[in-house]
Amino acid sequence: MDRVYRIGIDEVPKRLNLNDCEQLRLIFIVMPGVSADIPFEINIEKEGVELEILGLYLSPHSERVKFNITVRHMVGGSHSRQLFKGIVGGSARAEFDGLVYVAKGAQKTEAFQENHSLLLDNGATVETHPQLEIYADDVKCSHGATSGYLNPDELFYMRSRGIPEAEARKLQMISFVSPVISHLNETMQNQIISRL
Amino acid sequence: MADEKDILAAAVERDYSEGFVTEIEQEFVPKGLNEEIIRLISAKKQEPAWLLDFRLDAFRKWQQMTPPKWGHLSRLPEIDFQDIIYYAAPKSDSDRPKEIDPALQETFDKLGIPTGEREVLAGVKSKVAVDAVFDSVSVSTTFRRTLAEKGIIFCSFSEAVREHPDLVRRYLASVVPVGDNFYAALNSAVFSDGSFCYIPKGVKCPMDLSSYFRINASGTGQFERTLIIADEGSSLSYMEGCTAPMRDENQLHAAVVEIIVEKDADVRYSTVQNWYPGDAQGRGGILNLVTKRGLCRGENSHLSWTQVETGSAITWKYPSSILLGDNSSSEFYSVALTNHYQQADTGTKMIHIGKNTRSRILSKGISAGFSENSYRGLVRMNPGADGARNFSQCDSLLIGDNCGAHTFPVIQNLNPRASVEHEATTSRISEDQLFYCNQRGLATEDAIGLIVNGYAREVLSRLPMEFAVEAQKLLSVNLEGSIG
Repeated sequence: MDRVYRIGIDEVPKRLNLNDCEQLRLIFIVMPGVSADIPFEINIEKEGVELEILGLYLSPHSERVKFNITVRHMVGGSHSRQLFKGIVGGSARAEFDGLVYVAKGAQKTEAFQENHSLLLDNGATVETHPQLEIYADDVKCSHGATSGYLNPDELFYMRSRGIPEAEARKLQMISFVSPVISHLNETMQNQIISRL
Repeated sequence: MADEKDILAAAVERDYSEGFVTEIEQEFVPKGLNEEIIRLISAKKQEPAWLLDFRLDAFRKWQQMTPPKWGHLSRLPEIDFQDIIYYAAPKSDSDRPKEIDPALQETFDKLGIPTGEREVLAGVKSKVAVDAVFDSVSVSTTFRRTLAEKGIIFCSFSEAVREHPDLVRRYLASVVPVGDNFYAALNSAVFSDGSFCYIPKGVKCPMDLSSYFRINASGTGQFERTLIIADEGSSLSYMEGCTAPMRDENQLHAAVVEIIVEKDADVRYSTVQNWYPGDAQGRGGILNLVTKRGLCRGENSHLSWTQVETGSAITWKYPSSILLGDNSSSEFYSVALTNHYQQADTGTKMIHIGKNTRSRILSKGISAGFSENSYRGLVRMNPGADGARNFSQCDSLLIGDNCGAHTFPVIQNLNPRASVEHEATTSRISEDQLFYCNQRGLATEDAIGLIVNGYAREVLSRLPMEFAVEAQKLLSVNLEGSIG
């Protein structure tokens, strides 16, 4: 089941308990112009849960966005995957604070967490705290975080083939956000692409 | 698994081989901490007025501060700072004896630390200059003459205060300010001895320099202060080791290390920390709460931290680098092993200020028994750090299902031309790996040693030779009895 939350438009629950065997995909979208503090906590209390949390934040002006995502594996045998991507420019500030907690005895848990952000301008700030707190040994847990800029080599490649700079940059950004927006419907995809 | 357990049970009985106490006449200052005690320590060391003022200023700052609580260290006890003896020194007739006391000599021999130059010259040990610190004072420094010929100053901190006051005054607290944190302020108020090292312009230090710290007296704390200055174009490899007797009480170790690296200079700082970790039930052990920081001040300067942390009941330690000079670089390589009830919260900070600065972090945590092992780190790209890069990798290995492994990195990027990459994984020694080794005739214990050493190899290979051998042994030995 997919649930899409447009921050500032849809109401977001603060806390979810998963005690049914289920597949769930949550998608958080923060559009340009939206400042928000998004605390979200999810407890997995049943084996066999497949949880995916995706997030996208576009903050090109002076927004303040803060995600505070906690995923708790209270029992073993469940999988969770988080992917958050952000493009930050102007004087905006984006913070991602994510915790994966694996309780004692929650064996065979698999948990992955990723956060990638692009900085476009001087004055923009990105802060990331990807955290793992693990009390069981038979688990596969990892996280990755990067913060960087649009690859100048890619840009050069496209420009040397006649693509104007602005468009080339847009293509780069589309490819950056596509792992998240590919799960959205076409209307929303177009809406996001037009705002890049 | 039954016979495996037997082997392990036997191995757990292993003693901490450095846990003996040396019977030696020592002098102490009274227990507790107040201005009088600080004046007394300062007077005992015949310090100039400016240093006493420095201490008193630090003490007043410290009084306003509270101990940091953010570490993931549930077993860190409330420390009663009035119940500690802040100065303990082996009794000796003169300030610095010409002959090292035989009992002390024996202690350091037992620990395998060469305090005499003879056996080194005879080729028994490799050539390393050692500054040996026993409780609150430095008892011997070797190879001073050889080093002095090159203009290198390597001596105890107290001696540096007497003989090179200008250098000390210029650099002291220039990297770790007095009020930096609670324990650094405490150290600044009561620090006793430590090593001082100055490498002049363009000099490549001909041998590894080393400090060896030993806590002996009961009820005391050790507060050493190390100051290393590498002037333009110089290079230095520095090693630090430490041990303490086995006791039921917790003893406090709050050190400050400051390193200044000038233009084109290169400093490698290696630590093998083997303080007494407490017994299998978690009684006693050293509380290791230290502040280490290096400043890469000049262009193209380079500082590398390598640490192997196997001891201490509590470790709270974040060797950090401030990359101020353009094109400067720093690395942090760490292996932290916790067993039984040990808790470690360790990591690094890389602050990128200069252009094209680079840093690399490689941290390998191993937790076993009921221990907790956390990596905590900060990578910050300042607005001026154009072209800066960082790559961090933090791996955790869990052995047994009663321990915890945690990763708490912080990444702050304020520059659109800087890039930061971080990755972390958590895993355990799989049954397949063990089966593979067993099948080829390796006992489970040996197999674990092999796998852990392989896991930590990338860090161990950065250590100077004799340290690498010691560290490998420590890893295998400290893990004995960790799975069943």
